[in-house]
Amino acid sequence: MAVCIAVIAKENYPLYIQSITTENELKFHYTVHTSLDVVDEKISAMGKALVDQRELYLGLLYPTEDYKVYGYVTNSKVKFVMVADSSNTALRDNEIHSMFQKLHNSYIDVMCNPFYNPGDCIHSRAFDNMLTSMMMQVC
Amino acid sequence: MAQCVQSVQEFIQDSFVPLVAALCSEEAERLTRKNNLGFSELVKPFCRLTSEVHMRDPNNQLHVIKNLKIAVNNIITHSPQPGGIRKLLNDVVSVSQPTEGLVTNVITAGDYDLNISDRSVKASVPWYNNWKDTLMELNTSTFYSATTPWFESYRESFLQSMPASDHEFLNHYVACMLVVSSGEPEPVEQFLKLSQEQHRIQHSSEYAYPKWFIPNTLKYYVLLHDVSAGEEQRADSVYEEMKQRYGTQGCYLLKINSRGSNRGADEQIPDPWSQYLQKNSIQTQESYDDGPYTVISNKNADHLISDDLDNDIQDGLSNNFKAHPLQLDHLSDTSSSFDGTDYIKTTSSLHESKKTSSGTPHGACLTLTDHDRIRQFIQEFTFRGLLPHIEKTIRQLNDQLISRKGLSRSLFSATKKWFSGSKVPEKSINELKNTSGLLYPPEAPELQIRKMADLCFLVQHYELAYSCYHTAKKDFLNDQAMLYAAGALEMAAVSAFLQPGAPRPYPAHYMDTAIQTYRDICKNMVLAERCVLLSAEILKSQSKYSDAAALLIRLTSEDSDLRSALLLEQAAHCFINMKSPMVRKFAFHMILAGHRYSKAGQKKHALRCYSQAMQVYKGKGWSLAEDHINFTIGRQSFTLRQLDNAVSAFRHILINDSKQPAAQQGTFLREYLYVYKNVTQLSPDGPLPQLPLPYINNSATRVFFGHDRRPSEGEKQAATHISLDQEYDCESSHQWKELEEQVVAVVNKGIIPSNFQPTQYCLNSYSDNSKFPLAVVEEPVTVEVAFRNPLKVPLLLTDLSLLWKFQPKDFNAKHNGETKELACGNDMIGAEVIAEFLINSEETKMARLKLFPHQTGELHILGVVYNLGTIQGTMMLDGIDPSIGLQAGKFVYNGMSVRGRQELEIQGPRLNNTKEEKTSIKYGPDRRLDPIITEEMPLLEVFFINFPTGLLCGEIRKAYVEFVNVSKCPLTALKVVSKHPEFFTFELGQQFQLTNFFNQYSKTNSLFTNTKSQ
Repeated sequence: MAVCIAVIAKENYPLYIQSITTENELKFHYTVHTSLDVVDEKISAMGKALVDQRELYLGLLYPTEDYKVYGYVTNSKVKFVMVADSSNTALRDNEIHSMFQKLHNSYIDVMCNPFYNPGDCIHSRAFDNMLTSMMMQVC
Repeated sequence: MAQCVQSVQEFIQDSFVPLVAALCSEEAERLTRKNNLGFSELVKPFCRLTSEVHMRDPNNQLHVIKNLKIAVNNIITHSPQPGGIRKLLNDVVSVSQPTEGLVTNVITAGDYDLNISDRSVKASVPWYNNWKDTLMELNTSTFYSATTPWFESYRESFLQSMPASDHEFLNHYVACMLVVSSGEPEPVEQFLKLSQEQHRIQHSSEYAYPKWFIPNTLKYYVLLHDVSAGEEQRADSVYEEMKQRYGTQGCYLLKINSRGSNRGADEQIPDPWSQYLQKNSIQTQESYDDGPYTVISNKNADHLISDDLDNDIQDGLSNNFKAHPLQLDHLSDTSSSFDGTDYIKTTSSLHESKKTSSGTPHGACLTLTDHDRIRQFIQEFTFRGLLPHIEKTIRQLNDQLISRKGLSRSLFSATKKWFSGSKVPEKSINELKNTSGLLYPPEAPELQIRKMADLCFLVQHYELAYSCYHTAKKDFLNDQAMLYAAGALEMAAVSAFLQPGAPRPYPAHYMDTAIQTYRDICKNMVLAERCVLLSAEILKSQSKYSDAAALLIRLTSEDSDLRSALLLEQAAHCFINMKSPMVRKFAFHMILAGHRYSKAGQKKHALRCYSQAMQVYKGKGWSLAEDHINFTIGRQSFTLRQLDNAVSAFRHILINDSKQPAAQQGTFLREYLYVYKNVTQLSPDGPLPQLPLPYINNSATRVFFGHDRRPSEGEKQAATHISLDQEYDCESSHQWKELEEQVVAVVNKGIIPSNFQPTQYCLNSYSDNSKFPLAVVEEPVTVEVAFRNPLKVPLLLTDLSLLWKFQPKDFNAKHNGETKELACGNDMIGAEVIAEFLINSEETKMARLKLFPHQTGELHILGVVYNLGTIQGTMMLDGIDPSIGLQAGKFVYNGMSVRGRQELEIQGPRLNNTKEEKTSIKYGPDRRLDPIITEEMPLLEVFFINFPTGLLCGEIRKAYVEFVNVSKCPLTALKVVSKHPEFFTFELGQQFQLTNFFNQYSKTNSLFTNTKSQ
């Protein structure tokens, strides 16, 4: 269902990017990177007071011709960006939401690993498998 | 969008100015040619009125016109060719480059510091606007941040080169100047002739171009008088006659050329033409290109030919001007795409004129008084001739309209009912998608209102213009004349914006509808583009940056790369100027723009775009994107012959831990090698370049002194534990060290000398490398270098050898004073060369390289030197055992290899002894690679023969030991030391002291080994 999933650190460098096909990888990287502007905009629009109790799921960031980009920001400002095929109309907003929640949980698992150094790129087989299964679900 | 120097209002006003045609007699043209200018060029710098003008609108209200500008053009009787325009725009953009080396602007957006654009001082851009106050404004204004002069000059040229269309009158000629010289035999006759010619051009069906505003064009008669050559009285009398004939309002006596051309330029006069020079040369070239179709410019060409002789002389004086940035283009131009024989003559003379127009100063015969006279002339023409004419025409049109309204009132009321809702236009357009609407004849009554609106717009009467456009729009929509409606919508929006005091908000939806109609229904991209340029500029001025960006991006299409590139770049600038700057969107659109630029052949702009985008992506971990940008920067820099940039960009792709697939890495590597090869070819004598690949693990470097031990053969077994094949064993090496200390102590009667240092044959990262190791002359020094290939493609190193420095020293001679430094010289040091060394993908591999010192001295091993290359793509998949390739040398490498070097720099251990060292981070020296070559020494080799591998308790076995001195030096006082001396006995009887003499022969002693039970 998702074609590309990315985890972006607070400082806007990628912790993890996985896409379903390798030939378009560069394009996805650009897409994800550009979407961070929208994430920033959405966060700053909310204002300071609301930031703490806000909804983590940001919803649709922007649609392109072929893809839809969704965003999710954790309380520690780690961003999850998911690129989904826009031809897949079956995908509902709450499904995306639950996918992000799953992603968040497995990200927390990664963070709980005592050998993981926060801020490093994520190299975790469990996380890989989790994401692959998320991308494979429908496709 | 980038900041512009002009304000939006100024920009729009200057985009639509009253056009005046100029028709010159040959003689008059010759007079102006003295200044190296055509008539229209001559008056160009003075076309802006500095004073306010008043005129009355149809309702007799006084209307003030400020800062009016008019444009005087030669009549060109063919419509501009699309190809010509495209080329012109391309040239304009490529000529305008950011000036290098100026202070750059830094925009700080969040955690990004961006060097957006060089602050190009406008004065350096030759055709930049002539008025000085804008320049002053530029320097004092605080908000300008990034300018894109290429875009502005593109826009200016684009708007000027727009072909006149039938659906609007803004760029139709309002008036015509007829210029005749006073030196002509019959000036009055000449005026008549010109007047007839103008009439012929306008009214005969021969010429569809240029377009004229109204049938009875204003004719203004100008008598050009050469003060230095002509008779004043004659000119005056002719002028009197003219006044009688055409009235004082319709003619003018312009005196120029007060200074003789033969007088040198002893006084410096400001040259207002230089600002227009370059652009003019492009534009006039265009008009000359199609010589035979033109009436006027052919004559110009003739003059140019006659000028050539003079110019050649002048060329000598002004050589420094000859480096004209456009010259190359013109050269290529003239040789291509012309067919007629006429052409060759015209174009070659044209080419000459290019040379001179860039070389000779303009207005050489004009004094400051002449400048004032020309200014006065334009002012007089506008006040007395043009504006009254326009005023009159507006009045006439207004009267016509009122009478027509009476006729068609019923129609209008019906229309009003139809379009009572404001949303109607879009709806009706959607209904009419497939029809491009009807076309009116040029003098159709429906067009009269549009004509009036255009005239009002030209004289800055925006309220009236808006209401006229608005009415016209309804009218046209009612007739379903879509092209006309779009034009009216566009101008209605612009005039609504320009109304002083802004009584109504800017109707952006008018613009959107107009753009959509132009693009989708009329398929006229040029008009759509003009719309977008205007609208984006207006939106930008209202800080609606995201709307402007969306508009700009929407117009990018496949049909014009240059336009798409420019618009994308402007959109990118819009993103960065937003209240919360969208840096990443900026970067992304910059990349898109760069891509388009490179497709349009604007390499420099492409490179600039990519470099600006790079600032955002750099060092943030977006490695794929970064690689892509670096790769493109590398390529573009290479095509622009900026080889250093290219090399560093490619280097960047290769040394970072690349996540690219193997094929991509292979491409990168090949490209890198290709570029590098070009660099080295350019400077063959320069020092060898530092290569980034493969990686060298410096600390894993091992150094071995001495010959390779002969392998054990049969019963014979080398009695050594040291070789490069052996792993370092800390415990055993410690034991050996102790033994050595003991024997030295025995020899020196119980004291270990202070300068004692245990012999180390093999140096590695564990050994003590703080002292210079000793190597012996004529004995090889083997260095093992650990290469690692980070790429997914194999690397082939050829002619791999060590790089060293040698200082010969004679250790026998007491004076060490003279030391020579020699970098090379095979008589002193012989170096082994490995012909081919293949490192497979992501492999770590050791290379052993030998040096043979032939003299004593100090040797410094600096690094390795090799040819870096790749093997053929098919080979790398085969998984061939590299050792086979190494021996057989059968790898066909694809010729792409580059000679370079890499240094070996080994960091010593961290010092941790004194307090200072503990608190700071200091590293000791590592002298592994700096051996001292001493004179010849004896070299003992020991072999065991029949050495027992297992012994029973209490068993005594006989074994042989062979001592060989391989060196020429005699060896004396051989001692044998053992941790357990009681285990051994020598058959010869000497127990532990063996004083023998070996010289190039071997002697075999038998040795008893026994093991005693405890």
